[in-house]
Amino acid sequence: MAERLPAAVAQSARRAGPGLPGGLWRLELRAALARRRALAIKLLFPLVLALPLALTGAPQFFAAMLLTVLIAMVGTVGTGVSLTRSRGAGWLDRLAVLPLAPWRVGLEVFLASWLLDCLQATLMILVLELAQRADPLTVVSTWLLALGTLAFSGALGLAVATLTDNAGEAMLLLAVVLAPMLFLSGLFTGVPAVGPRYWVAQLLPFSYLQNGFQLVLHGNPPDGAPGQFLWAAGVFLLVGGAAAAALGRPLLARGA
Amino acid sequence: MPTPVLLAEAVSRRYRNGRGVGPVSLRVEGGEVLALVGPNGSGKTTLVRCLGTRSPHQSGELLWFGKPDPRRARGRLGVVFDATAHVDELSGEENLQFFARVRGGASTEPLLRDAELTEVAGEPISSYSYGMRRRLLLAEALLGDPELLILDEPTLGLDVVGRRWLADTLAERRRRGLVAVVSTNDTEFVEAVATRVGFLIDGLLVQDAPLHQLLASVGGLREIHLSCRAGVDADLLRRVAGVERVAEVEGGFTVLATRRDGLLADVLACIGELDRKLVDLSVREPGLADCFLRLTGRSLDG
Repeated sequence: MAERLPAAVAQSARRAGPGLPGGLWRLELRAALARRRALAIKLLFPLVLALPLALTGAPQFFAAMLLTVLIAMVGTVGTGVSLTRSRGAGWLDRLAVLPLAPWRVGLEVFLASWLLDCLQATLMILVLELAQRADPLTVVSTWLLALGTLAFSGALGLAVATLTDNAGEAMLLLAVVLAPMLFLSGLFTGVPAVGPRYWVAQLLPFSYLQNGFQLVLHGNPPDGAPGQFLWAAGVFLLVGGAAAAALGRPLLARGA
Repeated sequence: MPTPVLLAEAVSRRYRNGRGVGPVSLRVEGGEVLALVGPNGSGKTTLVRCLGTRSPHQSGELLWFGKPDPRRARGRLGVVFDATAHVDELSGEENLQFFARVRGGASTEPLLRDAELTEVAGEPISSYSYGMRRRLLLAEALLGDPELLILDEPTLGLDVVGRRWLADTLAERRRRGLVAVVSTNDTEFVEAVATRVGFLIDGLLVQDAPLHQLLASVGGLREIHLSCRAGVDADLLRRVAGVERVAEVEGGFTVLATRRDGLLADVLACIGELDRKLVDLSVREPGLADCFLRLTGRSLDG
């Protein structure tokens, strides 16, 4: 048996000290940041799509649609697939028997995933801004709206992870859930001015974000203003966080 | 009567295919180490997952520290299941720190040292061997001095030193009042750590007795393990005078007999054509595995 601990270990052991339970989100986030190659690919992948759209003068409606789909996919797939993998590896089993409230587990794993997704979206929007030189208020409000959309999508990914046991199944279910939402948000056809589809689109973040991206790309969306985007961003952030906390229990219950 | 640390009354959890466990009743009190022993598919893991608060039971009553609330019990529990899941990109020490924080800032130094992980504590888990991961897993369960330890196959992947560390740790903590439920077929380990042993067959607890009592029940017996090629008739072996049980195991038979003198000669004569049929033979004093065979008629090997 070793008699002395290396100084770094001893120091770190002291650092743990008494404190609030948890720190799961930090652990998950640090793990994701430590996967250098995966992180580089994750950060580059939205840019590969955003750059040509920003630089080639693609029609704003379609360019905004693609960027919105990208944000939706980033949010849902990132959370849904990584959680399904965690379950497969037995990590969720381990978390389930710790003295941590299920809502806290849900919220913390969601938070870690969301922060990474935010990094992706921020880079992408920064590149768009550099290429398009849009009005700063529009860019900031669209950026915040993207973060709100990521929260909503992340919670959707978490919901899917409560129903699936492997990454492939999760991807398929995400596509099945997300496609109708994107259609109802008017991404492919626009939103009718009246009727049920109009109201459904108001309840989902994707139509707002598409309008925001259109503004950033100097288009003329039929609806939307920075003030409205800020309000929507706040609502969808809260909805995403609350849903993630509520989904903690079913997330841990699966595979019990 | 003191409140038992763990009490199960007719606890049951069955899957659609009928497998699973229950109804099972057991009572574990302070200072006890209960080993659950049974062949594959006997329901050990299902039972341990219920006792470890991971899986809800479908019927019966399960009390931890006198209360039926698994969430309240988790703060006093250390649990190890078969999966060795960690955050592989981070170091062993960082992983341990997380569990320490969850357990209210428990000290990690002694556990790292005792589990012989100090030298590799700063390295990412992805560079660890399976045995190192298992030791870390056990160290994480021991953090914060849990009052009840639930371990599923704890010796899996451990080398001789690791097994000794675990056995010593359990013995030392038991003296301080720790209660443990250990599911394993490692009978040597069970004989080293358990105070009580439960035999599970087809999801039912068919025997629950102190270890010394079980071992005494096979005192004076003899175990013969035969590795042989095809053509040996188990029924002929069963007819040998003094043979109590014959279990077919992979590649041969385990014979448990009460008679000692002349037994081996009779068994060999029964096999016949030894050059052709017999591959290997060993004789030993019986242990817990033989006790299982004698009491249940089934071998732990399958």
